Amino acid sequence: MIKLELQSVDIAYGHNMVVKDLNFEVMPGEMVGLIGPNGSGKSTIIKAISRVITLCSGKIMLDGKDVFKMPRGDLARSLGVVPQMSILPSAFTAFEVVLMGRNPHLGLLQYEGERDFTITWRAMEMTATHSLAQRKVGELSGGEIQRIVIARVLTQEPKSILLDEPTANLDIRHQVDILDLIKNLCLENNLMVVIALHDLNLAAQYCDRLILINNGQVHAQGTPEEVITSQNMKEVYGADSCVYAHPVNGLPAVLVKAGNSHHAKPRSMIQGGIV
Amino acid sequence: MTLNQLKPSSMVQSMPIHFPRWRRRIYSIIGLLIALIGVVAVATAIGSVHIPFLTTFRSLLSQLPLVDITSGLSSTTETIIMEIRLPRVILAGLVGAALALAGAAYQGLFRNPLADPYLIGVAQGASLGAVVGFILPINWHGMGFGIIPILAFAGAIISVAIVYSLARVGKTLPVTTLILAGVALGALWGSIVSYLIITSGEKMHGILFWLMGSFALSQWSEVKVVLPYIVVGVAVILIYSRSLNIMQLNEEQAQQLGVNVEKVKLILLAAATLITAAAVSFVGTIGFVGILVPHAVRLVWGPDYRFLLPLSVLSGAIFLILADLVARTALAPTEIPIGVITAVCGAPFFLYLLRRKKRVVFF
Repeated sequence: MIKLELQSVDIAYGHNMVVKDLNFEVMPGEMVGLIGPNGSGKSTIIKAISRVITLCSGKIMLDGKDVFKMPRGDLARSLGVVPQMSILPSAFTAFEVVLMGRNPHLGLLQYEGERDFTITWRAMEMTATHSLAQRKVGELSGGEIQRIVIARVLTQEPKSILLDEPTANLDIRHQVDILDLIKNLCLENNLMVVIALHDLNLAAQYCDRLILINNGQVHAQGTPEEVITSQNMKEVYGADSCVYAHPVNGLPAVLVKAGNSHHAKPRSMIQGGIV
Repeated sequence: MTLNQLKPSSMVQSMPIHFPRWRRRIYSIIGLLIALIGVVAVATAIGSVHIPFLTTFRSLLSQLPLVDITSGLSSTTETIIMEIRLPRVILAGLVGAALALAGAAYQGLFRNPLADPYLIGVAQGASLGAVVGFILPINWHGMGFGIIPILAFAGAIISVAIVYSLARVGKTLPVTTLILAGVALGALWGSIVSYLIITSGEKMHGILFWLMGSFALSQWSEVKVVLPYIVVGVAVILIYSRSLNIMQLNEEQAQQLGVNVEKVKLILLAAATLITAAAVSFVGTIGFVGILVPHAVRLVWGPDYRFLLPLSVLSGAIFLILADLVARTALAPTEIPIGVITAVCGAPFFLYLLRRKKRVVFF
């Protein structure tokens, strides 16, 4: 059973501390959402877990092993990452890009075999991208590219998946498509999923547990009901927001109201014709 | 998780055959290999002294082990073929292969279609070394060649080493800093070279001829020196072709897919620099091969580096052997600098490919 543990993690860019004394755990089969304002350190945490940036102090343990002491190939076999903006080499076909997920399973001089093709094709079926297999990725839409990248992560056959804003730039239908897909994968395969999300409503709908990050520290964690409260929203986002229960499933939903940030001018002034 | 255990989706569709495209590329590699052997034979047969094709082929075959043919040639003809033409053809092939492969590797490494083997100061460093060699009053012929190739090689390697140490940030090597440091240092070397040329007096002609590249003085001793560098460098680059594919994603994603990006960058940079330096040190900074051949290969066979790299090696060799053939026969007995031929013959062909496939993304 794979378990992720962050133990008093500090991360800095230069002298600028971005993450301070961060602790949390994620269990297998659990879908955990990282939420928090821009610049709170969500992406940084994802990058640190996937060992793209280094820590100042602290430890990140995956399955009892220190992530920073594992060979990169081993890490890539147990952990897959869907980045925020996937820049894909436009001349490669979708199939070729998904096939790249087999890299950590292949030796330096080894070529992909029948098994690798089957796994790749399976992953493309699961993400409904198999009809795009021979298309060049430069010709695909944002939603299609995101699904291709998820297929590539599945092709790695990881036990855990990190996603950094996988639904940014997607319309509502594609957001739901992607998150349903990830949720199902998590449930059916007992995967550990850590997902950074901006959209609090989506986070509340899909995640078993939320971790609210503010200024590089855990502000609150727990079930969506425990984390998404008017109090927490006010403290972290600094805006008066209204938290309601979702009419269908009762999960918390956040609705915003215009003109209640500290930048807001009295409504009468705007109507008064400054523009 | 193994995907084999996953529930197949409702839209199960059997996997289409993806191999034909791969098979086409493998056939292309074999085809180009045969073409290369043919081109070597033809280029050896053609020259200012007329020797019939069949005689040349028999002479070449008689040199191979396990072949029992006596060439039955006069010793003069034998000398022309074996000591003058063949080393020249083989050196042209080696240099073409090295430059094309280094160009493809740099383009992949920098994810930049404008990259060529000379981008980070190899050529300017080699030129400076060579020009210093021309000017210094040294008459050393220790290994069957003079001081110039040695200084050119040293200049190229030292130049890239300086660029590398300037561009390094901590434990990483950002590609943009590398390119900028290379371009800046290259400009510095270039201006010193220009100054030295102007003040070089009667040596100016020799220097300019070297800078444009020439195979006129090729000998076996040079082939023997260049061959090991190029064979080792080519092998190393080919081994890392899958990593190069994955690095096209971007460095972060490549790391997340298990590629040790910094290590691969360093290895590829060292190997590509080594083969470029070895290639230019004897024959001068021949332009256009390193940028044109990989793009032409990309346009025809696609961007997959596992095929792009070997196909570039073969196409580069064929292209430069043919270019050298034109250089020495078109205006015989005058030799045209090969850099002129590579551009004059290569550019129109490349533009034709570009026009024909203009609607296709290829990089």
